Amino acid sequence: MDLRLRGAPSSPRNAADLASSSFSLGPDSSHLDSGLIDRSFGGDEPLSRWMGWRLRLLVVAALLGCVGVLLLARWLAESPYLDATWKAGAQGQLELVSSTDPLLTPHEGRALLGVIGGDNSMAVVDALTLRRSSRWLTDDIERERHRAMHEQLSTAMAQDTVKLFFSEGEMAEVSLPRRGLGSLGAMFWLLSGLALVLYLVAMVVVLARPTARNLLYALAALCQSGNLAFIAIESTMGLALPLPLPRWDMPVHMSLDLVTAAAVVHAAALHPRRIPGAGVVSWLSWISVTTLIVLIGNAELGGAWWWLQGSVTLFGLLAVALLTWSHRIEPHPFAIVMRRFGVLAVGTWVLLTLTLAASSGAPQVQQQIAAAGPTIWAVFLASLLLLLPFLSKSQQVMREFSLLAAISTVATALDLVFVAVFSFGQFASLTLALFLSLGLYSGARQWLLNQLRNQNVLTTERMFEKLYRIAREVEAHPERTPALLTQLLRELFEPMEAVVIDQRSPSTRVTGGGSTLIIPVPQLMNGEDGEASSIVIRFAHHGRRLFTTEDARLAERVVEQLRRAVAFDKAVEQGRSEERLRLAQDLHDDIGARLLTLMYKAQSPEMENYVRHTLQDLKTLTRGLAAPNHPLSHAAAEWKSDLTQRLTAAHISLGWNFSADRDISLTVVQWSALTRVMRELVNNVIAHSQARRVDIEFMLDGDRVDLTVTDNGVGRNPQAWAHGLGLGGVRKRVKQLGGEVDWREVPAGGICCRVCIRQLSERA
Amino acid sequence: MAIKVLIVEDNPVARSFLCRVVRESFSDTIVITEAGDLETARRQVGVVDPLRAELSVDPFKLVLVDLELPDGNGMELLAELARYPATKIVTTLYSDDDHLFPALQCGADGYLLKEDRFEVLVEELQKIVRGQPPLSPAIARRLLSHFRQGPGGMGGLAEPGLAGTSGFQSSRPMPLGRGAPLDHERLTPRESEVLTYLSKGFTIKEIANLMGIKWFTVNDHIKSIYKKLNVSSRAEAAVLASKQGLV
Repeated sequence: MDLRLRGAPSSPRNAADLASSSFSLGPDSSHLDSGLIDRSFGGDEPLSRWMGWRLRLLVVAALLGCVGVLLLARWLAESPYLDATWKAGAQGQLELVSSTDPLLTPHEGRALLGVIGGDNSMAVVDALTLRRSSRWLTDDIERERHRAMHEQLSTAMAQDTVKLFFSEGEMAEVSLPRRGLGSLGAMFWLLSGLALVLYLVAMVVVLARPTARNLLYALAALCQSGNLAFIAIESTMGLALPLPLPRWDMPVHMSLDLVTAAAVVHAAALHPRRIPGAGVVSWLSWISVTTLIVLIGNAELGGAWWWLQGSVTLFGLLAVALLTWSHRIEPHPFAIVMRRFGVLAVGTWVLLTLTLAASSGAPQVQQQIAAAGPTIWAVFLASLLLLLPFLSKSQQVMREFSLLAAISTVATALDLVFVAVFSFGQFASLTLALFLSLGLYSGARQWLLNQLRNQNVLTTERMFEKLYRIAREVEAHPERTPALLTQLLRELFEPMEAVVIDQRSPSTRVTGGGSTLIIPVPQLMNGEDGEASSIVIRFAHHGRRLFTTEDARLAERVVEQLRRAVAFDKAVEQGRSEERLRLAQDLHDDIGARLLTLMYKAQSPEMENYVRHTLQDLKTLTRGLAAPNHPLSHAAAEWKSDLTQRLTAAHISLGWNFSADRDISLTVVQWSALTRVMRELVNNVIAHSQARRVDIEFMLDGDRVDLTVTDNGVGRNPQAWAHGLGLGGVRKRVKQLGGEVDWREVPAGGICCRVCIRQLSERA
Repeated sequence: MAIKVLIVEDNPVARSFLCRVVRESFSDTIVITEAGDLETARRQVGVVDPLRAELSVDPFKLVLVDLELPDGNGMELLAELARYPATKIVTTLYSDDDHLFPALQCGADGYLLKEDRFEVLVEELQKIVRGQPPLSPAIARRLLSHFRQGPGGMGGLAEPGLAGTSGFQSSRPMPLGRGAPLDHERLTPRESEVLTYLSKGFTIKEIANLMGIKWFTVNDHIKSIYKKLNVSSRAEAAVLASKQGLV
């Protein structure tokens, strides 16, 4: 029953969940030691004790986050803003596309050359200023130029009025209004909202159980939250970002990305199980990340962007490798899910990097990619991080989300490829990419759902069949309920481990971060107070899947159905047996009493005997009706005692030889047929043979029954016997059991009757 | 002096048949009183108060009771006659332990199956009166589980006839619940052995051979088992009665 994990030396802390929320077990071993069960059963008690201050802290954190976002928005809204749309010109100049400012409308289509602020600070501008973030500039010199230009622009535009110099000597002096909260744009609010959610989830995870893994998760999540917030700020950019930001853009993004990567590697080394050398790996990654941050921050590395992209890719690959290793050591479904996520994230990261690098020859294209790509990637990663703590909570959400994430990644990638490779216009490529990916989405979704549905139909059918079979078995052997239920759950979830423990779980639930499902064993037969026990199954689908709350509900429903099936079967059986009993009683009381009177009034001994046998047959029949099954040993005892009495009264001695390799339960038909065959044969001997001795041999060997009745009487030539009612009855009964009967002479005198039933259970 | 016999049987044909059986069985002068229902039987015995049952001057020596009677179950009468000194025999068509076992618990000293042949019945009746009661394998099984569980655990007593019988008193402290069974509620190892053999269909002669004891010793064991069943059941009946008195 118990399937042990492949070479899993239990480490004291390997099933704890990186994303362990309030439901998880905390540190435990891979084996189902009592510690795990105790913890999972008593886990709620300390939780409630700690809940108070944690909840308060969480509320404080949430308030801080909201206030932070609002302050940020307010600060952005206060900064001077030139309401105009710009585009990059063919020669790398900055062209005014449109503006709501009447002073600027005449200059539409002209290129902006420079800006002079009120305090005579001056900025020279070109198309590079349109790049929102210097983080995604591949060239060091360009990045430095971008930073300088943005700083100058911000300084110049910090004043209330600026002079704008356009090509062909045109100049406009405009005053800069405060932009107000309304003009920050939907993008800003969406991204900062997502950042806030991610921040809150990180806080929840940390506060629920402040373990090392949860801290690492929170660190990664907070970094990505910061990245998102920064991107949100960048999305509000007019001509340049407000002042301190241009300088901090690259270092902040770089540090956040690198710290996230290091945290992910560290977490992969610890979770789902601590791999050998986890300390070394994590230390190395943290040291190298710190070195990189310092070096890139001080501009001591040439090709900083390449260093950054490359090292993040390497860290990502390292994390994937660590998870693969961890899964080899101990197959935990979480490792597989994390690895899948890791591969997706690293893949899209590499794709983004390569597209940006490939498009470096076309600044316009690169600018478009740099505007959309990193945002999408950051949102994608943030969603993955958001999903982690809820993996074991809902399978449905995960399935839909992964489908959507994959499709949107494909769409983005296609869009970028079309723009970069085929130099399509933005609109054309976006339309094409959307069209293609939507087609892909609907096709893939249909296909996936079809597969799921087909599989479900099959398993449902099979499961119902199993359910009813098990219900019948449970009825026969209530003590086997846990084993049978375990078998059913095993087929349903294909877990790696399934154990019955002597402890009752109050409800069906998922623990261990989705690796474990605990199902209380129901009391299916009422009146049986069996021991309270639960079934613990771990690692669904051979460790490839996490248990979810839906699985728990499914298990609960299966148990409920089983309970109903058993109750139904029992009710039917009870009804049938009551009906049989009533029938038997009526037959016995009414017909029996009349037959008895008839017997007492019989005119001749033959008639009296005939009625007596009829009465005895009636009694056998009614007893068969009243009792559904008879153990062979009990039946044999009664046969012997009954025949002994009969034969003794006729002064015939009985040699009784009974052997059975096991005790079986005879059905009503078998019992009454055998009883009547034996009685009839003995009656014949008593009536006709004048024998002094009868030998009866009954043998049960496997499924074969051999019965011989031998007398030492005067009977001869059985072939010539008139087949009266007695012998006909014997033939009929033996045939009913699927056997054969024959009579032959015994050389020393007498008759031997042999009954042979080769397969007793065949006609059961 | 004539032996007084009471036959309680509603079927007149069966009644006369049983009369013949009784007359055939004993050489003494027999005075047979017939009763067609419980009411008549009670009147004949004079049982109004079971405590004064012994006051009857010339009691019946033998009582044959049918189980199915028009105005109730023969077991009611058996229970009421618990202390009556007669040999009480159940005559019935029911040969299964579900019917016979409660009757034995109610104090029957044996049973006769009405469909048996005349000679068989005569022989069986003589045996019972001599103290050689029959014990079928099914009843032996019931007895074994009865004494293994302790008398308190027996469901057979929940017969309506017995539960309704009240007024039986005893000066002896009653075992309540399932405490340690008293001596009379326990079988000796020998008795258990005899019962086990009987439940497997062995005859008394075979059991005597198997156990290396005399035939009549086996028979004594069987009689003793009957008595213990009877006593333990009577105690139980008293508990039931006193409980009913409390309500």
